[in-house]
Amino acid sequence: MSAVEARRAGAEKLIVVPYSRVSPAAVATNMILILLGSFFLLPMLWMVFASVDSNPDWAIKLPTPTLANFTDVLGRADAISSFRSSLILAGTTTVVTTVLAVLAAYPLSRMHIPFKRAFMLAILFASGLPVSMLIVPVYQMYVYFGWLDSLYTTALFLAASSLPFAIWLMKNFIDAVPAELEQAAAIDGASTARILRELVLPLTLPGIAVTAIYTFINAWGAFIIPFVLTYSPDNQPGPVEIYNFMGSHGLFKFGDLAVFSLLFSVPVIVLYLFMSRYFSGAFNFGGAVK
Amino acid sequence: MAVAAGLGPRLDRERFQWSSLAMLAPALALLGVLFIFPVLYSGYLGFTDLALVGSRSRDYQFTGLDNVTRMLSDYVFIKSSWLTIIFVVGSAIVGQTVLGMALAILLRNALVSVRAVIGSIVIVAWVLPEITVALVWYAFSQAGGTLSILLGHTDTNFLVAVPMLIVSLANLWRNVAFSMLVFSAGLRNLPTEVLEAAEVEGASAWRRYRMVVLPLLKPTIVTNLLLVTILNLSEFTLIYAMTQGGPGIETMTLPLYVYQEAFVFHQLGYGTAISLVLVLIGALFSLLFVRASRSQV
Amino acid sequence: MLSEVRFEGVHKIFGTETAVEDLNLRVNAGEFLVLVGPSGCGKTTTLRMLAGLERPSYGRILIGDKLVNNVSPRFRDVAMVFQSYALYPHMNVYDNLAFGMRARGAAGSVIAQRVKETAEVLGLAQLMKRRPSELSGGQRQRVALGRALIRQPQVFLMDEPLSNLDAGLRVQMRAELSRLHERFRVTTLYVTHDQVEAMTMGDRIAVMNSGRLQQVDAPETLYDNPANIFVAGFIGSPRMNFVRGSLTTTRGVAAVEFLGVTTPLSSRAKLTAEAADGAVTVGLRPEDLMWRRAAPPESTLTLSAEVDVVEPMGHEAYVTAVCAGETVTSRFPPRSGVRTRDRIELALNPARLHLFDARSGNTILQRPVAGGAELPRSVGEARVDESEEGRSERQREPHTRSAQSRAEEIS
Repeated sequence: MSAVEARRAGAEKLIVVPYSRVSPAAVATNMILILLGSFFLLPMLWMVFASVDSNPDWAIKLPTPTLANFTDVLGRADAISSFRSSLILAGTTTVVTTVLAVLAAYPLSRMHIPFKRAFMLAILFASGLPVSMLIVPVYQMYVYFGWLDSLYTTALFLAASSLPFAIWLMKNFIDAVPAELEQAAAIDGASTARILRELVLPLTLPGIAVTAIYTFINAWGAFIIPFVLTYSPDNQPGPVEIYNFMGSHGLFKFGDLAVFSLLFSVPVIVLYLFMSRYFSGAFNFGGAVK
Repeated sequence: MAVAAGLGPRLDRERFQWSSLAMLAPALALLGVLFIFPVLYSGYLGFTDLALVGSRSRDYQFTGLDNVTRMLSDYVFIKSSWLTIIFVVGSAIVGQTVLGMALAILLRNALVSVRAVIGSIVIVAWVLPEITVALVWYAFSQAGGTLSILLGHTDTNFLVAVPMLIVSLANLWRNVAFSMLVFSAGLRNLPTEVLEAAEVEGASAWRRYRMVVLPLLKPTIVTNLLLVTILNLSEFTLIYAMTQGGPGIETMTLPLYVYQEAFVFHQLGYGTAISLVLVLIGALFSLLFVRASRSQV
Repeated sequence: MLSEVRFEGVHKIFGTETAVEDLNLRVNAGEFLVLVGPSGCGKTTTLRMLAGLERPSYGRILIGDKLVNNVSPRFRDVAMVFQSYALYPHMNVYDNLAFGMRARGAAGSVIAQRVKETAEVLGLAQLMKRRPSELSGGQRQRVALGRALIRQPQVFLMDEPLSNLDAGLRVQMRAELSRLHERFRVTTLYVTHDQVEAMTMGDRIAVMNSGRLQQVDAPETLYDNPANIFVAGFIGSPRMNFVRGSLTTTRGVAAVEFLGVTTPLSSRAKLTAEAADGAVTVGLRPEDLMWRRAAPPESTLTLSAEVDVVEPMGHEAYVTAVCAGETVTSRFPPRSGVRTRDRIELALNPARLHLFDARSGNTILQRPVAGGAELPRSVGEARVDESEEGRSERQREPHTRSAQSRAEEIS
């Protein structure tokens, strides 16, 4: 092969591979991400490994596999009862918050209400307030009314604290339904009740699901409110129970603790996956107040 | 209006529909009793000497600015305020915003598989209940825990050695997904033509981000800053479950101090006064958020 | 059931903007009235007030003899086709069509029967199980129409129903709408910014501008006797040429001087009371301003001009030329061979002049009623003004008064 031919071959090669996915920048990007990803993965990996390890400690290590931790936890009455408490607490909060938020968001989105703008600002403002800071006056009130140590009254306060954001979220979802659909239905002769039932509810179902799941996830993980407002062992939801276990080192095995937290985390992860396909819209905060 | 002159009253004034009040009423009732009333009530309790137990629990009095004076000379309160600032600025404002934006930008340019896996891991960390995060980070930072092995100091309990750093890292670990999602949405909404124009003009990647992306993302950045500040200001569970404010008072941020004064030392009045300070700061940031979200419409 | 619709002194004010000002308009029972005007002229607001989606600030709206100002849309017995169609996205075609009848509590068997009939009229029978997202633009349009038709309302309201269709489909649907109106004869108020739709579909056309009604007339009348410069310029494509002129009356004979020529006014035309000697605006339709070599003998006036731009359209060409310092557009036969900077002679029939008061813009020359022997039957070409959607594309569609026959030719 002559020198000219070789150069031509080289040139052809350059032409054949003009664009490569493997640029140094791309390699760096993916490497940095994998490093960052392991920073996020390692702590949770401990929980997963420890849960199936017959002899876990604080460090991540490959487990000596066993299901004993799972059978242990599932056999514990306190663990089961804390799941029940969490379910009642988060379920009640979610139902109350979602129903009230949908009801309130519709008129805020569609009807003429005096001082609506001021009201929406107050709602937005309230959702920014550190609600857990209201715990002292609420505690006082609950003492006064005799509402302490009930999962349902505790759920009411959780609902009140999550309601402003839920209303705001729900209003954005209803705003996104074109008003012309409702106008068309009104001209078609539909009553407000029918419009709500057959148009607004079905069309905002994804929004209602997002609002409900968001509320549920928050209530499921709520700690300080049930921590202060309930005291009998039967009424302790998961987070409070886990906290108590963490505080009693010797008495509670690492493996059981890992299993318990893992089981307690699964529902919210599943719910999040279910919700995530609808969720991206919730992060566009532009145009928060219309 | 010239046209309107002499035509009598307007026929199209908006009418109030009672059905709207009926739909709003349940939410208003719940918020009134368990949100607005407690806010107002705490505005009163914060100026009393109410106690959880003892004679002051029934027989408490309005004490004017006593609680404020006490705060100003309270060493723990001042230390606690500093810790709160360090926590919010370090973990939320700097850490969460910078790492969140970095993740959003990197993920946008990453391989699809890397994006899917890493993005999911970061989001799972956010979705996990706070108490679980507290537990795994507690385990992570103990002597003999994964962190100590990685750093080669297996006998160091990092939660005792550098407690504020560890809780800040744990908080960052948990919350960064929020900022990442906000920035991803912001990046998605950028007009692609602008970026393409910059690329055609031959601007380097770094220059494109600095000169084009960052200015366009400014409203998103402002919104993110205010939201993470508000959310982190009242952070209680994670720190409390990991350290209870200790060792000593090394991680006693204001929310923990409120809890301690009110429910451990039984000083409900003083505790409320401190929480009012927090509410005020939160309110200030909420107002900023409202203003910022209005100006960017 | 045929009902007329009346607007009596209706105003609509939004904030400080007057969207509709002192509107007095009557839509006769069974009539197809097209409300046309540029974007923001108040035509859609007018339609929405009739639907009950907006309440008038002042004045009265009547359907039949019933004052409906405060009647909610639900009880007005009108049907509306929205520009966006507003189909219920979570319901299939059948449920979209049936929604209104269900809302009014019709029996299931009656609904099924009506849906079937309506679907057959519109050719939707095969699509009943589809959702709107699974339909083409034209099919969605038909469903929207069907949803209005099925109700047999007193009044049809249509808000730019064809504006989202592509050009070919639009021509077809135009004919179909005219056919449906022939068949059912329901009082119809049709809003559009497209003068072709207005000219081809309307029994009468109401032209609006800046919230004010400019003129209501049959299409030919509107074209031949526009009430003012706005209507004259809005209807017809290419646009009417407006040039400066001056009116003089000597011994009872009025003459107008423009583009360097003077001509006495036709004895068959009458000057209005507003007419006065002095400056006037002369309006010349491009088709009345012909190439001397192609002009009929009635075109007695000859103007000399220099060609600026030639736009060939295929079957004809638009020639923009400068004549006595004014730029005018003229319609030429195709392949005339005329090129830029050529000197040409234009011919004009003095009976075809339009005169407007220079200040008020009102017409001051009442010409013979349309249908006269010397009037050409074909209204000619019209330019589709797409400005409302901000589209830059320009389409020119051939049409005649009989949209139906034209549509058949096309298909």
